[in-house]
Amino acid sequence: MNFFKEMNLGKSLILILFVIALGIPYVLRTNQYQVLLATTVLLYGVMATSWNIVGGLAGQLDFAAFAYLGIGAFVSGTLFIRFNLSPWFGMFIGGLVASGFALLIGIPLFRFGIKEVWYALTTSALVEILKVAFNMWEKVGGPVERCLPYFSGSWQHMRFVTYAPFYYIMLTMLVIALLVNQRITNSKLGYYLKAIGEDETATEVLGVDNRASKLKALVYYSFLIGMTGGIYASMYGYIHPSFFNGPESTKVAILGIVGGRGITFGPLLAALLLVGAQEFLRASLGGEFSGLYLLIYAIILIIVVLFKPRGIATIFQDIYQKFKTKEVKK
Amino acid sequence: METIIQSVLNGVLMGCIYALIALGLSLIFGVMNVVNFAHGNFVMLSMYFTFWAGSLYKIDAIFSPIITFPLLFLFGILVYHGLIKQTLQEHYTIQIAVTVGLMTFLGAITQLVWQARPRALAYSIVQGTIRFGSYTIALSRLISAIISLIIIMIISYFLAKTWPGMAIRATSDDSNAASLMGINFQRTYALAFALGSGLTAIAGGLLMTFQQVDPTMGLRFGLLSFCILALAGLGSITGLVISGLIVGISESLAMTFWDPRARTLVIYLIFILVLWFKPRGIFGRK
Repeated sequence: MNFFKEMNLGKSLILILFVIALGIPYVLRTNQYQVLLATTVLLYGVMATSWNIVGGLAGQLDFAAFAYLGIGAFVSGTLFIRFNLSPWFGMFIGGLVASGFALLIGIPLFRFGIKEVWYALTTSALVEILKVAFNMWEKVGGPVERCLPYFSGSWQHMRFVTYAPFYYIMLTMLVIALLVNQRITNSKLGYYLKAIGEDETATEVLGVDNRASKLKALVYYSFLIGMTGGIYASMYGYIHPSFFNGPESTKVAILGIVGGRGITFGPLLAALLLVGAQEFLRASLGGEFSGLYLLIYAIILIIVVLFKPRGIATIFQDIYQKFKTKEVKK
Repeated sequence: METIIQSVLNGVLMGCIYALIALGLSLIFGVMNVVNFAHGNFVMLSMYFTFWAGSLYKIDAIFSPIITFPLLFLFGILVYHGLIKQTLQEHYTIQIAVTVGLMTFLGAITQLVWQARPRALAYSIVQGTIRFGSYTIALSRLISAIISLIIIMIISYFLAKTWPGMAIRATSDDSNAASLMGINFQRTYALAFALGSGLTAIAGGLLMTFQQVDPTMGLRFGLLSFCILALAGLGSITGLVISGLIVGISESLAMTFWDPRARTLVIYLIFILVLWFKPRGIFGRK
């Protein structure tokens, strides 16, 4: 593998972190609740990393993360409840439907040149539309939770009595999301997207097919999140229209911006720090501080935007660069 | 038929207040090309201030803007100098992010201070209903709508005839040319932002005469005013009022004839359809 051929500081750091991540469910094995919280941190890591493709690289501020997550969850969950189709397959169908929906929204959106603020507004409206629509669509959604079958666990149907398997599934998703991100960043598409993120008109003038590039980014993003949605439904064991969560979608975008737009590991870093701290406090203080938490998010977002608009990952990048130059000097 | 007319009447009255809310957003967007995502939360904040004024100092909701208007005006100046000014030269993602941060901040703080349960004032001096044949209109809604229209006319006069108003219009057309003509555009920006935020204080006071307030309201008023802004485009106050009425009436009709839950759905659908087919708005000047 190429990965091991060129071993350096950055890669060895990633490997160490990955090994630590593998051991976490074992450390927390006495407390299932804490494993769930750790899985939640990974979930936000996956979402923020996927968000990075559209929001970071392509510079399209997207507030619809939980719209795609909800679609994935509803498709996978409904197929499971109605047709007894295992979520192992359902999650892929969920991802496909989510990206189909993204195309349905994205084609006219980009066709009519909706960008910047209007794109952001449309996507935040999208989550609310889906929430209301699924609340009213009694056949699939409705105000009552729909539980997934096999309470006692069945690994063929992605139902487990402990949270540790979900932790590993989510970790796998995270690795996939990071790999996809890395691949896109270093591909032709990635350079196109970065150029679009800087200046859309200039990119168009230079002969890049803006619309196709943005659509591709949107498809990757929504597929990854739609698949995660299938896991999300199985993890919580039910599907409900409250999965279409506006404030949480905003949180995903906040993580992406705070971490560093367009930097592969930036959003993950922000998710680990912010969501990690949030879930840790929730475990130790209880749920009464949930409102306080959004406040802290908002303050951190404002501070980062004002003083480090490129994201907190740049701090680490600077340190890393310094180490690298020292190594070269030796 | 009677239900339709009754529903349209209610929609018209709400639409006037919506137009007033959107006017503030439109001022800010028109002048400095910044969409204030926190606008809906400004409305919510002023509703809570009205609630405080009413419950702690016994000030009637309809008069509370006398206190809340200066408060929100000052708040607008603070926000402009503290946040918006710093990001005007930045990538638009940063501009949006800073107002999203403000939106989340206000949403969280209202939840902490006033808790999640809905709050309403016990009574207002404008109460009761008027009957026109078989139609009933709540007096508080009627008066709120009339006051909204009066305020919109005052703002329209202010923009057309007074020096600061003309400065705002000039800056919104071309900020470089305006600053060459001796207009301090920083001060004009601050004024526009403060005025936009101050207008939400009036709207908040009027809404509190007949409505309750809860922390989810910010998002609804925000998207509602974005929808009106998208419909109206920029530069036409008449267009803004008409768009406000369109939104108010469609919301009211959807609630009566489809499903009470559909009120937001209809607004968002209008919003997205308008963006697709009329990106410059129906009444837009530029």
